[in-house]
Amino acid sequence: MVKHSPVTGRYVTIDVDGKEYKVFYLHNGQGQPLICQHTAGCHNHQWRGLLEDDEITRNYNVIAYDLPRHGKSDPPHNTEWWKEEYKLTADHYCNFIVKLCDALELKEPIFMGSSFGGNVALQLALRRPDRFKAVIPVEAADYAPGFYLDWWRHPHANAAQVCGSGVWDLMAPQSPEMDRWLTWHYYTQGSEAFKGDLYFYSVDHDLRDELHNIQGRKCPVIMMTGTYDYLTPPEATENTARQIKGGVYIEMTDIGHFPMSENYDVFRVYLKEALRIIRERTD
Amino acid sequence: MKQDIKSWADKYESLTNGDETIGAMAKYYTCSFMFDMGECKVIIEMHDGKVKHINTDPGPLDAYDFALRASAATWREFAQPMPRPMFHGIWAASFREDLKIEGNHLVLMKNLRNFTVQFELLRRSGVPV
Repeated sequence: MVKHSPVTGRYVTIDVDGKEYKVFYLHNGQGQPLICQHTAGCHNHQWRGLLEDDEITRNYNVIAYDLPRHGKSDPPHNTEWWKEEYKLTADHYCNFIVKLCDALELKEPIFMGSSFGGNVALQLALRRPDRFKAVIPVEAADYAPGFYLDWWRHPHANAAQVCGSGVWDLMAPQSPEMDRWLTWHYYTQGSEAFKGDLYFYSVDHDLRDELHNIQGRKCPVIMMTGTYDYLTPPEATENTARQIKGGVYIEMTDIGHFPMSENYDVFRVYLKEALRIIRERTD
Repeated sequence: MKQDIKSWADKYESLTNGDETIGAMAKYYTCSFMFDMGECKVIIEMHDGKVKHINTDPGPLDAYDFALRASAATWREFAQPMPRPMFHGIWAASFREDLKIEGNHLVLMKNLRNFTVQFELLRRSGVPV
């Protein structure tokens, strides 16, 4: 018998800072919008477990998009993008997310992202607390230096495998082998964008002097980090959350930097708690 | 109890050569590397995904492409069946613990998929320190 997933995909074209993007997104569910950003150099399949989670999609309209240059979202169609090095900035990244939410007519969405998606969640909480009901920065911190490296697209090495295996031990050894290899597989597909994404992650994103300006009571910030994350270790997230008014930190045991992708069954336990806290603070 | 280094080398060679994940993409996995475990050092020479030789008593002029150097305590953590956070891989330990990666990094990067798989075989072979 053929088994169809309830998840569907669509494209929407938007203009962001003069760049025309045809954006691919997956969605399933109804109710409160929950829009999800994948990690750097990856794509929206990282959210496959959440997208098919009946319990959550019963009350949440889950949307997981591919950032331009990732997955099925092309680079801009109206610029000769191949003539300049890709470096994602905080300004453009935030403008893109807000434009996408506007195009999808999302009312008070909750924004969730992991790694560089988590860091942009903090940027959104700072810049646009009026536009988002809450944010869930996963594996995020105020500052995350050290990963803007030439190795991710070095022409003398197999960049696909460098990206896939270079992030391998960002995952916890307890996570299921299949899910870790699927995450590895996704990472082999994004090597051309990975380094440019990490320009935002490790260079342009720096909120060390801005955390006190985040209005965590107006737009709740629920941060979650796995104990096996060496890049944004738990203490970095906890230290960040502590400096945000009303900030919440949840430590996730025995999981790593790609929790939604490497071990969804564990991640969903913590995610449900984050959503419960948001309901409690916003209803 | 500390393993005899020759017995360890035989076990590590056997695990490597029998590993299906390395075997699935073995061609061109050819390089040499040192494990510097503080109390002992070994040089592992790979050829097309198989161990060609493990030098268990390297001399000062014996060559290799790259080296992983850390304390014996760190290597013992690498070899736990379920290692603790920050001892669960070479990048974690180089960012957060005392592991140093030295030599020709490009050779490591060219062979990163298979080397990463092979490194984790230490969880089954143990270490001789």
